[in-house]
Amino acid sequence: MEPEELTELALAAAVEAGAGYADVRWVREETEGLTVTDDRVDDLEAEDSSGLGVRVLVDGRWGFAASAVLDPGRAGDLARRAVEVARASAAVGGEPVALAPAEPAVAGWATPVARDPFAVPLAERVELLLTACDAQRSVAGLAHAKATVDLWRRRTVLWSSEGARLDQTVTQTGAGIEAVAVGDGDLQQRSWPNSFRGQYQAGGWEVVEAAELVANAPRVAAEAVQLLAAPQLPERVTTVILDGQQLSLQVHESVGHPLELDRILGMEAAYAGTSFVTPGDLGRLRYGSPAMSVTADATTPGGLGTFGFDDEGVPAQRSPLVVDGVVAGFLTSRETAADGTGSSGAMRADGWGSMPLIRMTNVHLEPGQGTLGELVADTPDGLLLSLNRSWSIDDRRVNFQFGVEAAWEIKGGRLGRLYRNASYDGRTTDFWGSLDAVCGPEAWVVWGVPNCGKGQPFQNARVGHGAAPARFRNVHVGVRGPHG
Amino acid sequence: MARPERLLEIAEEAIGVGGADDAEALVYRQAGGLTRFASSRIHQSAWREDLWVRVRAVVDGNRVGTATVHSADPGTVRATARRAAAVARAMPPDPGYPGMPGPATYPAAGRHDQATAAADPATRAGLVAGVIGRLPAGVAAAGACETRELEIALANTRGVRAAGATTAASFSILADAGSGTGWAEGTEPALADLDVAALGERAARKAMDSRDPRDLAPGSYPVVLEPNAASVLVQWLGWLGFGAKAYDEGRSFLVGRLGRRVCSPLVTIVDDATAADTIGVGFDFEGVPKRRVTLIDRGVAASLVYDFRAAAGHGVEPTGHGLPAPSAEGALPMHLAMLPGQTPLAELVAGLERGLLVTRFHYTNLVNLMGTTITGMTRDGTFWVEDGRVVGAVRNLRFTQSILDALASVRAVGAETEMAAEDGYGAARAPALAIDRFAFSSATTF
Repeated sequence: MEPEELTELALAAAVEAGAGYADVRWVREETEGLTVTDDRVDDLEAEDSSGLGVRVLVDGRWGFAASAVLDPGRAGDLARRAVEVARASAAVGGEPVALAPAEPAVAGWATPVARDPFAVPLAERVELLLTACDAQRSVAGLAHAKATVDLWRRRTVLWSSEGARLDQTVTQTGAGIEAVAVGDGDLQQRSWPNSFRGQYQAGGWEVVEAAELVANAPRVAAEAVQLLAAPQLPERVTTVILDGQQLSLQVHESVGHPLELDRILGMEAAYAGTSFVTPGDLGRLRYGSPAMSVTADATTPGGLGTFGFDDEGVPAQRSPLVVDGVVAGFLTSRETAADGTGSSGAMRADGWGSMPLIRMTNVHLEPGQGTLGELVADTPDGLLLSLNRSWSIDDRRVNFQFGVEAAWEIKGGRLGRLYRNASYDGRTTDFWGSLDAVCGPEAWVVWGVPNCGKGQPFQNARVGHGAAPARFRNVHVGVRGPHG
Repeated sequence: MARPERLLEIAEEAIGVGGADDAEALVYRQAGGLTRFASSRIHQSAWREDLWVRVRAVVDGNRVGTATVHSADPGTVRATARRAAAVARAMPPDPGYPGMPGPATYPAAGRHDQATAAADPATRAGLVAGVIGRLPAGVAAAGACETRELEIALANTRGVRAAGATTAASFSILADAGSGTGWAEGTEPALADLDVAALGERAARKAMDSRDPRDLAPGSYPVVLEPNAASVLVQWLGWLGFGAKAYDEGRSFLVGRLGRRVCSPLVTIVDDATAADTIGVGFDFEGVPKRRVTLIDRGVAASLVYDFRAAAGHGVEPTGHGLPAPSAEGALPMHLAMLPGQTPLAELVAGLERGLLVTRFHYTNLVNLMGTTITGMTRDGTFWVEDGRVVGAVRNLRFTQSILDALASVRAVGAETEMAAEDGYGAARAPALAIDRFAFSSATTF
């Protein structure tokens, strides 16, 4: 049965069962993840997941039901179950949910793809990764070499009782290498283009080609070996330059999440947490220095948070979150923006089986000017911190601590010695208040964060962050106390 | 009633397609509901049923391919089996392919409770309403109530036929008393085994006791970790290197430590899917019977866990800890438990001269694998203790601490255990721990 037929059946059953509002999403997600370690294929996961999710409002209460086990009869059952779930929620009081108006769209959308990554022969993918591992293993002292490619394609058919009729296909691709050096009771790794399986963007095989895995492999492997012999980063307060990859996660954790309006309103309190930001901070709170402007933009080419419509059918938008250091907007949904401001189009589910939540789209730190080389040259004393290794932040998004793969000393405007086990920590507004320079558009890249967790049941979102290297003053690096 | 045998029929359909030297089909079904509440109202409630079939096919003796589909439709399942074989034909040979396990007898494991499997949204909402209705004035609540049923079946062309079912129920509550929050959580195989009212009362009491926290300078302090916080240390240790593949690749903290004392003799950690209070089935994702393995025996690093491939490489029997093969990760302990001691929680606190009582950790992450160093925050109930009495709440702190160093300075182990999962990944059963030195590296503002 065609997805539109299943969707129509479920939608009609939901309305007949008493839903005041209903949307039905049929989703098919195809994924292929390939991992090569040293000289063999370690893992190949090829998955094809499709199912139907029915979301209803009954007397102002949400209900949701979803299943992968589909036939025409079950579509109606699923809708009636969603209504039953919503009715049960009335046992506990509270204000009924209202939705901000949204023009029901009838449209299609697809990620522009130069070369369909799923059509690239498996043997070609394997050969590329084996070659990338061989190139790493040419470096003496390396323990293990890893290379990965991940492909995702998600088609969503979304119909709503308000008349939305949407069909969109999002294709995303990622690739990376990881060199591991082991010795003297320590393990060090260096990755490219990013840690945790590489760089991910919306697009096709061209994303893999742009990563230039083989060309970068010897350098990455050599740096992993050098890290093993490098001294531990001493604790101190200094100037740091974060590379774009690390900065993208800093934006993610300490700007994107705190400006999700569901967190601000306490809807994620028990699990992911809340936010130090309050609704009244809009237009008032100084979040960072005047060099800090942050934008949510679901229209950015190549972003993991790029789409035509969110999972409530709201069109992709570009909107400011922080302008010249002051809070200018939130990431919102139709429910949280029912006060008349309108949804920012940030409701996303991680598949057919999950209710949409407010998620980051592409949350960018807007570029400044100059190159990384010029920024280093302008820094008499400090550190260049590269690629994330570890992240943690408190449940109101104030106190954070990040570890990075590598730290280079900066002395007299030049890069110097390499340090291992580097970390830095701070408090969100103090840290962003210390931002004094962001590199320009030529150094600005939309980095992918494919593993953003939130919600119960747990959902994973893939989001994007445009970032160029940036400099922060008076940052505490290293960890206080006896830590290894 | 659970009927995992019908999943076995799907698995047999898949391996019957032919065209492969070896074939294996793993069928996994999970169904259940989760009711979330925040600001003392239900704001999200959902039911979900998923069923997937993963087929592993081997051609030319050692070319391995897999394919997974979320469907029970026989034609779709057969097509997926053919796809797995096609993938295998495109893969390079795997000289280390160990074959597949053969038939076995499986231990009883986990528990299937029909009432939990059948719990409807009204049941969950009723529990939530009851807890919210008993909250003291000025206290609001957020949390979740979940009930689910899990069925797994596995068949392969070497004769493995395995099927099992289990259930799980959990209730978590964060109580908010304005300037302080409190937390309680329970997870059990059966919903009836959860004392939801007691969880609500505990969280509310902690929230009120957490009001008006004071600053505490970062530093090293004696601590009592409640079971929820202690379980996080156990979970992390489980991920950091008990798998034989990780050990062989040098990415295990146990390299150079196996057989040696790594922590206090008061600490014993096992992985045991056959325990009555765990959630699981009696076989792993390769169809190997799950065994009880003592990972840390009275402070000594005692054993690794092995999937079928690693066991063949080491010349030992697999322990039943395999993930769906082939796996880049290798074997993992997934039913971890630290064995309890004999000291009730109240006595652990009474034995603390000056130190901290920690309810729960938040957003923990790895800092240094070989050093077993992790970082994270305290939340929802962090208290200063003097002369064995809680004297007030403190603002939350960040810890950066080696797990092995912390477990080396365990002074006493609690008598009661709880099963908990930090940030939703995995779960471990643990008792409270009194630890002489725990390093807090910075503080936050609330």
